[in-house]
Amino acid sequence: MDVTILYGTETGNAEMLCEDIQAALEDAGHDILMENLSDVNPTDLDIARVYLVVCSTYGDGELPASAKPFAEAMKDAPDLNGLRFGVFGLGDREYETFNLGSKQIEEMLIGAGATLITERVTHDASGSDMAEDVALPWAETVLATVEAE
Amino acid sequence: MRKIAIIGAGPSGCFTAQGLLKLRPDWQVDVYDKLPVPYGLVRYGVAADHQGTKNIVRQFERVFTRQGARFFGNVTLGQDVTLDQLRDAYDGVVLAAGLAGDRSLNFDTADGVIGAGELTRALYDHPDAPDLPDIGGDVVILGNGNVAVDILRLLAKGETEFNGSDLSPRATQWLTSRDITSLTIIGRSAAQFAKFDPVMIRELGKLEDVSIRVDDPLSGGEKGLEALRSIDGLNTGSKRITFSFGRQPKGIETQDGKITGLSVETEQGSETISCDALITAIGFCSDASVDRDALIESAEAIDDGHLAAGLYAAGWFRRGPRGTIAENRTDSLALAARIVEDIEQNLDCEKMGQDVLGLSAANMVTYQGWQRINEHETTQAMAARCRTKIHTRAEMLHQASTIKEVN
Repeated sequence: MDVTILYGTETGNAEMLCEDIQAALEDAGHDILMENLSDVNPTDLDIARVYLVVCSTYGDGELPASAKPFAEAMKDAPDLNGLRFGVFGLGDREYETFNLGSKQIEEMLIGAGATLITERVTHDASGSDMAEDVALPWAETVLATVEAE
Repeated sequence: MRKIAIIGAGPSGCFTAQGLLKLRPDWQVDVYDKLPVPYGLVRYGVAADHQGTKNIVRQFERVFTRQGARFFGNVTLGQDVTLDQLRDAYDGVVLAAGLAGDRSLNFDTADGVIGAGELTRALYDHPDAPDLPDIGGDVVILGNGNVAVDILRLLAKGETEFNGSDLSPRATQWLTSRDITSLTIIGRSAAQFAKFDPVMIRELGKLEDVSIRVDDPLSGGEKGLEALRSIDGLNTGSKRITFSFGRQPKGIETQDGKITGLSVETEQGSETISCDALITAIGFCSDASVDRDALIESAEAIDDGHLAAGLYAAGWFRRGPRGTIAENRTDSLALAARIVEDIEQNLDCEKMGQDVLGLSAANMVTYQGWQRINEHETTQAMAARCRTKIHTRAEMLHQASTIKEVN
């Protein structure tokens, strides 16, 4: 399956997680591209690919810096009908704005007509799980769901 | 192979190493720290109850375990090695030593006036920190940045509110055994200009034994003001927290050499706020291990972090005590790109690297040594703690060189 991993990051944690997801999925035989959301325009998204979006939250529930230009471009209401994506969020439950960043990305993609594949999964930095232990099963579930369609 | 030395294994130093090795995986990047342990501010500045923020070290671990950077702890610049020696030995040297000194008030001090950095280092088990001071029950915190809010929150918390942190038994005892009656946080500017992140203010809304009052009228739509309004009037218990803005500190009042109050000037006139201790959280400065001022003054292009031929500065050491870890990451990655460009233009023959420095391997702590310390600290963690830090150099050095038998 042709898969693109997109990340929105502020401190680099989401980027590192995506490197892990990429390595695991490549080992499983998938063809993976990985891009920073800051380098992606919504109109570049390709409905032939499956998108795995990994996004953190920063400040008072805001998007991380690298996702902001993408969110800005989403205001032009691109038509993303037929686009399939999954969302994984990184956050910290110490703060009441837990994972609002990944939620915003999910809502704007759905709002543009894209289809969310399985529910958004989140990781809590203050919890005891490693992010990759939660994210790898999520990525596999998203791809298995698309495959089963 | 090009060789780079980075002075300081805090976040800016580690991000610079990460950036360099992403661009040039075959370069030799050596990260030195004066402490036997890496991660600087993440270990000794980020609050003990903000473990989520400390997760960033998982990136730094990879810089050493996968990207091939080497760590050399317990090496002090100016003592074990000079800057000139480093510049002779390496193609590039990056100063990322941070700013560990507390900026002081411009009036006389007394017993009971404590710098925020000094206090947090003592709380977070820094091996060079003095003993925890006596602060009484009525504390004034001067400053409106995130460090001031960290201290306020720590002093307001009770025992169970530290669950999951890496606060030591000694610091936990110190924080929770004192009878805090009043915590007053004072800002020089008006509330809408306060520098703290709104999310840090909202976090105070979870405190379990406080009553919070914000002194000044808070109209206005700024996020910081919204956050302050959301906690104003919160009443969950006995520790009184007061936010007070627009107060210029003018001096302290003392009795027998000990502080009894802080004199401030407001638009309405002067007033004295009585206290048993004054904690100053008004910024940081160089702690004088390197002559930072001279280096910055003579810099070729300080905004790019370029100090002189083959000499660079990163993080707070370059930009002053401003900016979060994330902002300094952006800076460090840009600096890494700049260093690669500069050094590849320079066709001089290769430098010799660490071998010519004459450093004693027996005195340095390698990354493997740190892994032994880390293993010890996490496996020996006290109940309800994720880690219990070793707080003396001697014990760090001992653990670093202790090879555990594998059963």
